[in-house]
Amino acid sequence: MDKSAEISDLVEEHVNDGDTIFVGGFGHCVPFALCFEIIRQGKRDLTLCRSGTDILFDIMIGAGVASKVIFGYLGNPGIGLGHAFRRAVEAGTLTYEDWTNMSMILRFEAARQGIPFLPARILQLGDIANASIPGTIEVKTIDCPYTSEKLACIPALKPDVALVHAHQSDRSGNVQLIGVDGDMFTGALASEKILVTVERFVDTARITRLPEATRIPAYRTTAVAAVPWGAHPSYVEGVYGRDDDQYFAYDREARDVEGLEDYLRRWIYNCANHSAYLNAVGKKRLNVLEEQASRREIG
Amino acid sequence: MIGLPVAIRLALAAARELQNGEVCFVGIGNPSDAALLAKHSRAPELTLIFESGVVGSNPISKPPLSTGSPSVAEKATMITDGLAVFSELQAGRIDVGLLSAAQVDLFGNLNSTVIGSYNQPKIRMVGSGGAHDIACLVKRLIILMPHDPRRFLEKVDFITSPGLSDRRSDLKLPPGPVSLITERARFSFESGTAALSATMPGYSEEDAVEGLSWKVKKTSDFASIEKFGKKELEAARSCLQYLFN
Repeated sequence: MDKSAEISDLVEEHVNDGDTIFVGGFGHCVPFALCFEIIRQGKRDLTLCRSGTDILFDIMIGAGVASKVIFGYLGNPGIGLGHAFRRAVEAGTLTYEDWTNMSMILRFEAARQGIPFLPARILQLGDIANASIPGTIEVKTIDCPYTSEKLACIPALKPDVALVHAHQSDRSGNVQLIGVDGDMFTGALASEKILVTVERFVDTARITRLPEATRIPAYRTTAVAAVPWGAHPSYVEGVYGRDDDQYFAYDREARDVEGLEDYLRRWIYNCANHSAYLNAVGKKRLNVLEEQASRREIG
Repeated sequence: MIGLPVAIRLALAAARELQNGEVCFVGIGNPSDAALLAKHSRAPELTLIFESGVVGSNPISKPPLSTGSPSVAEKATMITDGLAVFSELQAGRIDVGLLSAAQVDLFGNLNSTVIGSYNQPKIRMVGSGGAHDIACLVKRLIILMPHDPRRFLEKVDFITSPGLSDRRSDLKLPPGPVSLITERARFSFESGTAALSATMPGYSEEDAVEGLSWKVKKTSDFASIEKFGKKELEAARSCLQYLFN
């Protein structure tokens, strides 16, 4: 079955207001183009979830498309706080659940396996799941039926939609990736629908040459679009490097509401589509990032 | 020695905690600086693991901003997923973890979630990431903090990552923090609360506790460390050059 589509159709047809969205990309292959399209299309009331987030979460909070976040870490990795997140929490305009990276991964893994929870030793000490602190998460415990050990029951989290960017796919949706994964495919395979952008389409013959690199089988892929540079300013192993300067720029600009709005206008609202976004980034910058790519190659 | 940047001195002090052959779960920033420094001096056989699923990492080309950054993966010996490395952590396969945070208390509890109250924070921070999981599960936890008295509290505003606790043995968790390292000193948790066990080169006992509200005892094996190793200093210059700028 041909599941190829345009990126605008992916979002229009498969992302609904109020959906719970797993955002793929643990530093690597963060689906910026897909999420910028969600912002352009003015989706509302989304719940965003993943373990460690990228600035993409903060941008989506700032753009007003998210009403709730479920996460392990939410900020600008290695640089600082999520400014839009911070403002929204301090103003009381955002609902949020603090988990940990491991517990978020276990939540997705439970959903991927189709079971209601996974037992773990974490979240039984400290304040993250402290019943006496209002607003913190509730995590039930269980006595192991075999050993009587006390374990936390990490509940399954099944997103409506997963957003993933990867190296390549055939048109039927066999999605391949090399490099850092993090929780990308645990979260994707936990989700009901999986929307994918890839750097390029390849023939199925090329997929079968290296099936170990296939991370999402065609029967699980909902729809897939070819979107070169769809992970910028994050990176794609062996294709382009990480645009660290953009992350520092976001940190400076998003510190106040006006600066954040300028950022959104410049990179999202004033760009009608992804091609316009790439024009705004500029060929020169893209060339530099291409040169910074690792020498690794996918088959 | 005093002329070195604080971040370098902190990395030099923390690298002393890592032994050759150990497996080390690493966070970004001061922790990854210290681990990289150790790997390129006293502990060449140190295995660095990042929560992004990268094992045998050697992020020498560029200091990584994210645990998923290109330099984390570049010279790695294995790339798996987050589930796999957190599973190794929970199963007790990882010797040592390095963490930093916004606040620390006498029991080694760490806060990276909020300043103020959870529901009405003065400053909302980034949250746990993998820090809570590392603090609960790693066999030996090393805490790294720059000497900033505002961040050393009797009680942290929110316990993101748990320190010492009577409940750990009931829950079959490892003991938790063994040391707190600043650029000025090493504090040991052996006696149940942070106790001064060493001063770092160029600092006196007074410097080590300057401005702290803590009543700190001295350990019986207290030592004044006179200088860092030559190999370590050379590695700092070559591996952590960006901290000199």
